[in-house]
Amino acid sequence: MAQPRFWSGQAIGIAALVAGALVWEIGAQFANPAFVAPFSTTAARMWEYAASGTLTDALASSLAIYVSGMAYAIVVGVGLGLLLARARLLRIGLESYIMILYSTPMVALIPFILSMMGFGFAPKVLVVFLFAVFSVLYNTLEGARSLKPELLEVARSFRSSEYAVWRDILVPYTLPFAMTGIRQGIGRGLVGLVSAEFFLSGSGIGLLIIRSGQDFDVPGLYGAIMVITILGVALMAIGRTLENRFAAWRGLS
Amino acid sequence: MSDAALPAAVPARKRLGLSDEALARIVCGLAILAVWEGAMRLWAPPFIARPSGIAVAFWPTITSAAFLEAAGATLGAMAQGLAIAVVAGTVIGLAIGRSWIADRALHYYVNGLFAMPMVAILPLLTLWFGYTSGARLATVVFASIFAIIINVSDGARSVPREYIEVSRAYRASGFSRLMEVVLPASVPYLLAGLRLAAGRALIGAVVAEFFAALNGLGYFILFNTRTFKHNEAFVAVLCLACFGVAVELMMNGATRRYLPWYRREDRGA
Repeated sequence: MAQPRFWSGQAIGIAALVAGALVWEIGAQFANPAFVAPFSTTAARMWEYAASGTLTDALASSLAIYVSGMAYAIVVGVGLGLLLARARLLRIGLESYIMILYSTPMVALIPFILSMMGFGFAPKVLVVFLFAVFSVLYNTLEGARSLKPELLEVARSFRSSEYAVWRDILVPYTLPFAMTGIRQGIGRGLVGLVSAEFFLSGSGIGLLIIRSGQDFDVPGLYGAIMVITILGVALMAIGRTLENRFAAWRGLS
Repeated sequence: MSDAALPAAVPARKRLGLSDEALARIVCGLAILAVWEGAMRLWAPPFIARPSGIAVAFWPTITSAAFLEAAGATLGAMAQGLAIAVVAGTVIGLAIGRSWIADRALHYYVNGLFAMPMVAILPLLTLWFGYTSGARLATVVFASIFAIIINVSDGARSVPREYIEVSRAYRASGFSRLMEVVLPASVPYLLAGLRLAAGRALIGAVVAEFFAALNGLGYFILFNTRTFKHNEAFVAVLCLACFGVAVELMMNGATRRYLPWYRREDRGA
């Protein structure tokens, strides 16, 4: 019963994508070529980029920044979050500041980072890190806050070692929350990556977008934006899979 | 004296617990400021922002006409963009949530555009709208609308079937079913979406100001850091942080009021 509906759903989805490409292609014929490039030209330009290796180089240099920044963000965010789950008073002390940093738009710090650290790899990694880390930390803390004190009390009355407390209570309890944070951070980090490549020193896919915009290379601009969108969708899917994988630990779903 | 002190003894212990937390907050806050100030004094050139410098610059900056104008411009664009995104996003979200075909047809587009980092389309928007405040408004709308669409459609999809059946049994028209049953049931989801959207809108506004050099807090920060007035620029960052926190608190409060059992179930960032 569900199966045919699933397939007709997929068919509608794909038909809608094809229809979108057609509308884009035909609409662009009537539009000013300075603003809109038809789908075929965009795809051809991307094919050209992919064949010449421009695209691979750009993606590789962007992903190097992104992956380093995210790795730091995950290690620091989850590590600090777990530590604060154990140290209650410190958690209460820092909680409100972390909430403030979580809701501060980190883009606003980019000009400061530029004038303090200049151009290069490290400042861009820092931007990705700053965009992502507070999502991870804030959500891990949320898990820490909902950790039942009874669990720790029982563990203490059974004289479990510190290691056992971490292994059996802290990590399993807060990890699903941390995963929500990581999923959120994946999206934010990508915004950070593009902002860093736009506003610090141009590199990777961000530079490709900027340069096409400045050269009025409209097909290149559309194509580069599509590439970053596909990257975003893929990363989001990874994040969602991670989150769902660990959601079962919450005992909710 | 001692008679009066006795009954106060029991609540006094509770108050001690509370002040412990407040004390922890204050000590941590002071420690953060001290580390920041110390590190800057030791290692950074004197123009870099530090707490003492920001404290001195705070009042003159926040009362200056340039700052107020910039804050007004950013906040105005945000409010205007969010208003557009809420109205349009709710309409599209309701359609997706209630119509299976609309859902299947649009879901690649909505999820794809939601996952796209909105900074990426700035060059395109400046191409379409020029280096004007129209480009900023478009960025804000674009940054925020998909979060609202996704949340409203979730809400419209999860309206209890009984509500729909009752309204059908009373022969309510499709339109009044939508307006009087589905829409109110989706409001808590709309709030959750708005919370997410507002944060993204703020980033969108600042980024557009950086990119297109539009008058606003983003440009205020850019201009002042470039002229080595980091402390003044940081006041604008504080102002943006206040917007962010105010939205967060307002939405948390409203969500708690309208849907107490609703856990933070936002998507993406």
